[in-house]
Amino acid sequence: MHEASIAASLIEIVIDTAEKNKAEKVTKVFVKIGRLAAIEIDSLEFAYDAIKEEYEIIKDSEIIIEDVPITGKCQKCGVTDTYEEMFFACGACGAFEVELLTGEELTITEIEVD
Amino acid sequence: MGMVDVKAKILEKNYSKAAVLRDKFKNTCVLNFVSSPGSGKTSILEKVLVMFKDKYKLAVVEGDQQTTNDADRIEATGVTAYQVNTGRACHLEATDVEKAMAELGYDLDLLIIENVGNLVCPSQFDLGEDAKVIVLSTTEGDDKPIKYPVMFRVGSSFIINKTDLLPYVEFDVDKCIGYAKGVNPELEVFQASCKTGEGLEEIAAYIEGMIAKKKNA
Ligand SMILES: Nc1nc2c(ncn2[C@@H]2O[C@H](COP(=O)(O)OP(=O)(O)OP(=O)(O)O)[C@@H](O)[C@H]2O)c(=O)[nH]1
Ligand SMILES: [Mg+2]
Ligand SMILES: [Zn+2]
Repeated sequence: MHEASIAASLIEIVIDTAEKNKAEKVTKVFVKIGRLAAIEIDSLEFAYDAIKEEYEIIKDSEIIIEDVPITGKCQKCGVTDTYEEMFFACGACGAFEVELLTGEELTITEIEVD
Repeated sequence: MGMVDVKAKILEKNYSKAAVLRDKFKNTCVLNFVSSPGSGKTSILEKVLVMFKDKYKLAVVEGDQQTTNDADRIEATGVTAYQVNTGRACHLEATDVEKAMAELGYDLDLLIIENVGNLVCPSQFDLGEDAKVIVLSTTEGDDKPIKYPVMFRVGSSFIINKTDLLPYVEFDVDKCIGYAKGVNPELEVFQASCKTGEGLEEIAAYIEGMIAKKKNA
């Protein structure tokens, strides 16, 4: 389970950004996690909430995770689709040449500070 | 109260460390071996590296949570190995490789990294490698590629190991390859048995090809 090390990396970026912006408190942290990022969202929330207690500046912050679906565009027929499964055959023509548009995100987008 | 734009990769630090490593690996082909625990990564390395070890400068970084067993096994074949113990961590990070390289030195034609046995977490941690080699054994089920698609997406090659056990297990090789290609059509696929030696020469040829490709890049 690597959610703890992901949370630790995230918190490092959050604190660093907050300090650079002379913020006193971080209230919200906005994160995007693609379905292909191999992250269990509940575990990431749990890990974030556990580690945040150690830092005054983020102690009262809330992590808000956007669960990004997998979307892709077929390189053969051009159809854009959402993939529930991670088996990427185009739903329209069956080709495997699907270019991913979203689903690999493991990013922090913004933070709300006081 | 205000919003601050961040727009950063959460694993940015690991990526930038990996980029530094990749830069230093200009003349070194680096292969990151990943699999579930016990698929046969170390066995393959023990059998394959000796086929060409006298032709190249090579070393192996072994990642395990505990013990130096795997590094000891590699050293016993006459290949230099460095053991990283990750403790509770279920994957190697770029910083682990950085530490290993401080010992091993960058004057290598080939560096093999055997990651911690785990088909999930190592997929997210770039180690500066040229390719991820996924190993799956026939005792694990032929649907692993669609159960762990994230890893199969980021892999470059795929070894189905323990083919000697095929008569005793429910494992449809063609179905497995079909699933793997469905997740990642670019995967180069090998079938091997460390018991009978089947397919090991093809793997050696593949690795030597990767070394040559890196040199000529
Ligand atoms: N029958 C059979 N057994 C194999 C084969 N390859 C490996 N094994 C056995 O599988 C077990 C695990 O092999 P290892 O090489 O240690 O696997 P590993 O992937 O390095 O394991 P970890 O590093 O612990 O994740 C050992 O008992 C090997 O002898 C094979 O091709 N056929
Ligand atoms: Mg091993
Ligand atoms: Zn199509």
